[in-house]
Amino acid sequence: MAMLQQEHVGRKPLKSTARISRFSKILRNWQLYVMISPVLAYYILFHYVPMYGIQIAFKDFRINKGIWDSPWVGLKHFDRFFHSFFFERLIFNTIELGLYLIVIGFPIPILLALLLNEAKAERFKKFVQTITYAPHFLSTVVVVGMMMIFLNPRYGLVNQFIGALGGDTVNFMANPSWFKTLYVLSDVWQTMGWSSIIYLAALGGIDTQLHEAARVDGASRIRRIWHINLPGIRPTIVILLILNLGSVMAIGFEKVLLMQNNLNLASSDIIDTYVYRSGILDANYSFSAAIGLFSAVINFLLLVLVNAVARRAGGTSLW
Amino acid sequence: MFNIVVYSLLSLVALCVLYPLVYVVSASFSDPQYIMGGEIWLWPKGMTVDSYASIFKNDAIVRGFLNTLLYTAAGTGLNLVMTILAAYPLSRSDFAGRNLFMGVMVFTMFFGGGLIPTYLLIKNLHLLNTFWVMILPGAVSVWNIIIMRTYFQQSIPAEMQEAAVIDGCSNFQTLIRIVLPLSMPIIAVTVLYYAVGHWNAFFNALLYLSDRKQFPLQLILREILIQGQTDEMVRASTESAIKQQRAVEGIKYAVLVVANIPMFLLYPFLQRYCVKVIMVGAIKG
Amino acid sequence: MIIGKRQAKGALALALTAAMLAACSNNGNGGGSAEAGGSKGEDAGIEASGFPIVKDKIEVSGFAGKFFANVDWSHLKLWQEYEKKTNIHMNWETVQKDGLKEKRNLLLAGGNYPEVFYASSFSRSEVVKYGEQGVFLPLNDLIDKYAPNFKAIMDKYPSIKQGITMPDGNIYSLPVIYDPDFRSVFFNTPWVRTEWLQKLGIQEPQDLDQFKAMLKAFKTGDPNGNGKPDEIAWGGTGTAGLMGYLKGSFGLNNRGAANPYVDEDPANKGKIRFVAAAPEYKKLLEYVHGLYADGLIEKDIASVKAEEIDAKGTAGLLGVVDNVDPVAIYNDNGYVGLPVLKGPDGERMYTYLGAPLGGIAQFVLTDKAKNPEAMIRWMDYFYGDEGIKNFFMGWKDDTYKENADGSVEYVDDMAKNKDGLSLDQAVSRYLIWPGGLYPGYVKEKYFKGAEALPTSVANSKKADPYVLKPDAVWPGFSFTAEEQEVLSTVGTDIQTYVDEMRDKFIVGDAKLGDWDSYVSTLDGMGLKQYIEIYQAALDRNNKN
Repeated sequence: MAMLQQEHVGRKPLKSTARISRFSKILRNWQLYVMISPVLAYYILFHYVPMYGIQIAFKDFRINKGIWDSPWVGLKHFDRFFHSFFFERLIFNTIELGLYLIVIGFPIPILLALLLNEAKAERFKKFVQTITYAPHFLSTVVVVGMMMIFLNPRYGLVNQFIGALGGDTVNFMANPSWFKTLYVLSDVWQTMGWSSIIYLAALGGIDTQLHEAARVDGASRIRRIWHINLPGIRPTIVILLILNLGSVMAIGFEKVLLMQNNLNLASSDIIDTYVYRSGILDANYSFSAAIGLFSAVINFLLLVLVNAVARRAGGTSLW
Repeated sequence: MFNIVVYSLLSLVALCVLYPLVYVVSASFSDPQYIMGGEIWLWPKGMTVDSYASIFKNDAIVRGFLNTLLYTAAGTGLNLVMTILAAYPLSRSDFAGRNLFMGVMVFTMFFGGGLIPTYLLIKNLHLLNTFWVMILPGAVSVWNIIIMRTYFQQSIPAEMQEAAVIDGCSNFQTLIRIVLPLSMPIIAVTVLYYAVGHWNAFFNALLYLSDRKQFPLQLILREILIQGQTDEMVRASTESAIKQQRAVEGIKYAVLVVANIPMFLLYPFLQRYCVKVIMVGAIKG
Repeated sequence: MIIGKRQAKGALALALTAAMLAACSNNGNGGGSAEAGGSKGEDAGIEASGFPIVKDKIEVSGFAGKFFANVDWSHLKLWQEYEKKTNIHMNWETVQKDGLKEKRNLLLAGGNYPEVFYASSFSRSEVVKYGEQGVFLPLNDLIDKYAPNFKAIMDKYPSIKQGITMPDGNIYSLPVIYDPDFRSVFFNTPWVRTEWLQKLGIQEPQDLDQFKAMLKAFKTGDPNGNGKPDEIAWGGTGTAGLMGYLKGSFGLNNRGAANPYVDEDPANKGKIRFVAAAPEYKKLLEYVHGLYADGLIEKDIASVKAEEIDAKGTAGLLGVVDNVDPVAIYNDNGYVGLPVLKGPDGERMYTYLGAPLGGIAQFVLTDKAKNPEAMIRWMDYFYGDEGIKNFFMGWKDDTYKENADGSVEYVDDMAKNKDGLSLDQAVSRYLIWPGGLYPGYVKEKYFKGAEALPTSVANSKKADPYVLKPDAVWPGFSFTAEEQEVLSTVGTDIQTYVDEMRDKFIVGDAKLGDWDSYVSTLDGMGLKQYIEIYQAALDRNNKN
């Protein structure tokens, strides 16, 4: 963009060859800057312009004063949140659930993609693919509804199965220790197919010649997967891992709310459901903005951290 | 041997996933009473098309469907162009400032002004209640840019691009003649992700559209579901309102089927198209 | 390529402009103080009484929430006829319940809100907030001068005035009121299946022991005679219904359920008592836990979803229906209301009912209202007998017929529509009351919903001798902004803890032997502060 070019020209005198080549690099690639400019303009307009709204987290928002003129209250909202009786429980549940999701939920789409990639029967492969990504389209309400029917202590399939094996019925939904597991498993079930799509696309970009060469050398399929496929999609894996870790605190609020009840609250109460509950009495923009900001900061720091580690560890990183 | 393992694992996965899907379709054709009583296992019980009838009785459905088609087509088109325009430069290691640009965009994934300033902005740009409000605010997503960028870096050999430059191609030409044809898989995926996003979108419409004639399909479908939900503030109700809540149980499933079939079929279609193009690309390579 | 550059520059320019505009409009919001509220009385040609309301036609902008999405308020008979009568044209912007809150809040935040908010369900704290900020107009004087119908209601039932008066002494909104004489809309005791009682040869229970015995008989006696233990003795979703039914038998919630966590200390009149920490509450929990331990309440009562219980109800498997009239939901008239039970200390009360007030803020005037007097008159009509009849029943000989004894019923086109429309749908072609979202006055005479069913009416009549009288029920309290802040944190936490522990005690996950630690946890959470706030609210309430 014009702005950027001027910045480089005006600031430093073109003395060293390094600077000359940098500047000429920019000039030579001016088309790239033009390409990216509408996108940057979009971000500035729709994302940065409204960002003044972040200050709402530090103010007591008054409708008739607007955001700019509402009074400052500093960290009052954060204070209020940190002193909530359930604060530790909320943080702990949110983080534990987020990490659990990643530890279990992250590798599975990769495995699925690798498996699918190995299936040579085209029809079968397409069939399985289509089936597995279908759950992604189900609404949360329906997924939770189905889950509760299958887990029903009276007549649910699962408990009937347990009974047939001679065990006692388990009321899964009322048990705090089951909550996170149920959440994660149902999430994996719903998203593994959809998430595997991107890995499949990446696998499609691996040079088949590599596989040819390896086969000629006598490598077994497993070894080929381990040494060619996985490294081949490593950048994709790393990037997605970084992005996922950067959203650890942003858990699907609606699903938790639907699965929550008084008996499993100890395990199912997360930050967002708390904010929702406390907001029912009092449409308090500032409070929810403050907590949202808190989660966002943690997520962002996490992302930066993981990105730095990834960069040091070997090449691929977000920036 | 290996093949056996692969195929049986995949079959197992497919079965685990298939069963609940069959359930959804069966439930959509069943009497809500059996659904709620947990009596549906595989086949519909109390076979009825009432749930579907309730949906199609809604006068606005066809309109909503057409609107959504429009928003999805236009929106995805814009998305694709914008994503490519950002992902390609970012994938070039000789693009000065790329880390800065990346950082600027990633930052917006976490921090934003919130509902009120965004609403004010939309209002001041006179986008309220227009077609554009369904397209512009979601013009591109950082996530997809990153994924496409990664693909470019990973799968498009740098030598090829350099060869093109030597041959006299400008950056634009390199992008269009060399990079894009080799990127069909990622383009297909990107189109899919964005299209599905548009198809399911309703929140922006909820906030920014007030003319029902412009509502997307999802919003129209929600109308019927919302009517079946009790309001904490309301006490006095009619019999039919109460019965409505029960009907909603069946309608939920029918809504799912109606709302998602088009998207569900999109990927196989894209796949078929892309495989052909990949074959061409591989030969060229 | 050149196009790209131009686009970039253009986009920048647009962005900067937008930023300035956004900043400007926010500052412009500040003009919230009552400049338009010119309550000079007789201008705009307003008539002090009678119709039309104004001599020259005026247009008023309004925002409203509605139940049926496809009803077009600008072509609805109710409004069209009323416009002819009043000479006031309403420009409605309507939205279905879905998104009502967000849309409504954004309109306010964005500064382009209308003159009237109708059926928009503001919460108490929102009314306090917007009233204090001057966005909502105080209505006290306007009601006094221009709303004779509503004023009469307030005079007759002081709790209504108390309930809608905010801590600063102003009334900012008009509510939906349920006629205190329309008992069945306030309460119904849970419903018991008479056929099963007869089959098992037991009488309706009169006290707690008999109640327990009845549940046991339902569970073990196979009253439906099919040889399977598929009967559900207590068909409730969650424990709140059971608790609510039994609270009165322990003397709890002696001032009603509009403020469900507090009541009046019987030993200390005028002082607030926190229900969930009282020794009587412990006794109640012990009793209910006993029911659970004996398998008389379903194991999954705390987690079961309503749809499931509903299914059982339709199949006739519920001994007790903890819900509205089974005739309405299941078309099943095999149920009557359970008697109010006598408790261990001889208490025999039913206390779980609300105040005559429903949503308190279904009609507000904003500071943009150009003709507040006219609009108050416009609304007041619907609080008088004729207006109520019009609102609920429509037009004589058109949508309803009047019988010799004065009672009214819908014509067949409404009640038994030949195209198969349900009552709601048929009515919604002309009126807006289905769904319950409106300001107004619900009278038994004119309301044809579920609560007016003869079975419902019979239920409440039977329980009536033991039910709290209307003036004994506290209206929901309103709190100042500072009090509200404490309640949103300390209060939410306390209430969460109470609800969580209630279920845990009942199910046995928590031991009642640990009662003392439960109470001291509550104290540690700020219970004292919570009680003080409620006490302040009560004192204000009693002054009004």
